[in-house]
Amino acid sequence: MALFLPALVVLIVTTSAPLVYLAWTSLERIDLSMPWLSGFAGAGNYLQMGADPRFWHSLWLTLIYTVSTVVLQVLLGLGLALLVLRIPKGQGILRVAAILPIVLAPVVVGLFWRTLVLAPDVGLVDVVTRALGLPSYNWLGDPKLALLSVIAIHTWQWTPFAFLVMLASLSSLPPDVFEAARIDRASAWQRFRYITLPLIRPAIVIVVIMRTMIALSAFAAIFAATGGGPGTATEILNLYAYRTSFSELNLGYGAALAMVLLAITLAVSFVMFRARRAR
Amino acid sequence: MTGKRLRTVVLVAIAAVLLAIWAFPVLWALLTSFKTERDVLAYPPTVIFTPTLRNYADVLFGSASLLPNLLSSVIVAGVSTFVTLLLAIPAAYALARLELPAKRASGFYVLATQMLPPVGLIIPYYLVLQKVGMLDTYTGLIVIYLTFSLPFAIWLLVSYFEDIPREMEEAALLDRAGRFRALWYVILPQVRGGIAVTTIFVFLNAWNEFLFAVVLGGNRVRPVTVAMFNYISVEQTLWAKLAAGAMLAMAPVILLGLIAQRHIVKGLTVGAVKGGGRRA
Repeated sequence: MALFLPALVVLIVTTSAPLVYLAWTSLERIDLSMPWLSGFAGAGNYLQMGADPRFWHSLWLTLIYTVSTVVLQVLLGLGLALLVLRIPKGQGILRVAAILPIVLAPVVVGLFWRTLVLAPDVGLVDVVTRALGLPSYNWLGDPKLALLSVIAIHTWQWTPFAFLVMLASLSSLPPDVFEAARIDRASAWQRFRYITLPLIRPAIVIVVIMRTMIALSAFAAIFAATGGGPGTATEILNLYAYRTSFSELNLGYGAALAMVLLAITLAVSFVMFRARRAR
Repeated sequence: MTGKRLRTVVLVAIAAVLLAIWAFPVLWALLTSFKTERDVLAYPPTVIFTPTLRNYADVLFGSASLLPNLLSSVIVAGVSTFVTLLLAIPAAYALARLELPAKRASGFYVLATQMLPPVGLIIPYYLVLQKVGMLDTYTGLIVIYLTFSLPFAIWLLVSYFEDIPREMEEAALLDRAGRFRALWYVILPQVRGGIAVTTIFVFLNAWNEFLFAVVLGGNRVRPVTVAMFNYISVEQTLWAKLAAGAMLAMAPVILLGLIAQRHIVKGLTVGAVKGGGRRA
């Protein structure tokens, strides 16, 4: 017990106590730009949310962002792993390349894409599209394209993770099962659908759970690439809570938004772990 | 036979494209970091140019030198990693081996704290540190970094402790070595590799952290992830300097990533793997 206690105490003090404080703050009105209005607000912040279109918009974006990035990562990661598994040589170097995006700081990745990859004229993508004779797009400046771009950034950085997990899982499958299936003349699709997929299901479930949690706490890459803009085009709930608290200095309302974020995260993780146990 | 060959060629080609997509932005940045600002803006982009080290010299020793920021990052990431391991090693050992009251619940609690989105916690951290006058201090930021590194380190280490054969430890205890001495002389040498991997990951995460650093830091404590924004302003972007700065900021994590590459999948899936019983 003496061994575990110090860590436990630190965790309680640094994570659980702040949660209580956050809950309390969300019931207060703390607007550093109008400090004279500070005071207890009760459920005021939460009531305000109901009529706040920006809040609903950010929730909607969070949903799109989370679902699309997770689905893309799983599909691309699995597809790539299946492909790479058949390559006789060079898997090692691919693994190294896959690690590259994963270890980079999301904020640096965001800045990278904003400048060297997606910027008009200078960016890699623009150079390629222009070389192909296509018009030049302002990927992060155009509200219609910006969300697409930040989804692409997240997918670029984290598909290697899904890829590596799936590859590890696929390479550990027993080959004799496939041999038997081949003798029974199961088609490639049947082998995949009825043997591979059930066997690597645990890996897929892990990837889905972990990537969902990470997508729900995504912040730095979007912050660096667009700052939530243009306007509110890429303002997922994380960004909205941050901007409200630290750009508009309305900490009370920001805290209420953060509470919603925590509640969503908690609910989603609960559902996912339950679903996983049930199987 | 030719059909099979063709297929291999296609597969290798696809793999090569993949490699390019993942590696190219980084290589592009590396290339850009050796260009002059004028060469960066050339169209079509120049691949052949006279490389210059000016950007690195500017970024390191110029008026807006990154050196203090790199130092900031080293201090924050280094110290928080050290403290994390100091707390996490005994805790992980206890979770893996000892009879604890409410062991499952404690384990789950540690796991749950790891999932909290940082944006959800940043407001209370900011308010509390402001109240105690610890905004923009190393101590403040390091303590806050424990909130994400400690749960992660505990979970990763538990998986290594569980891999040690119990007999070994029991033998040590039979020799009346005592818990602490058994841990120190018998168990720890066994998990040396696991501790090294954990250290790398914890350091990597701390080095890459941004949100806490930008809100809770300031002029004194300004890690390199925050300082990256020096090169971007509304008026102009210093492309080549940004690239050089980014290369410097990324070099340590790329190096560590390569060292720990074989363990990366394990490091990244820790927690979720353990969340539902033993791994296959």
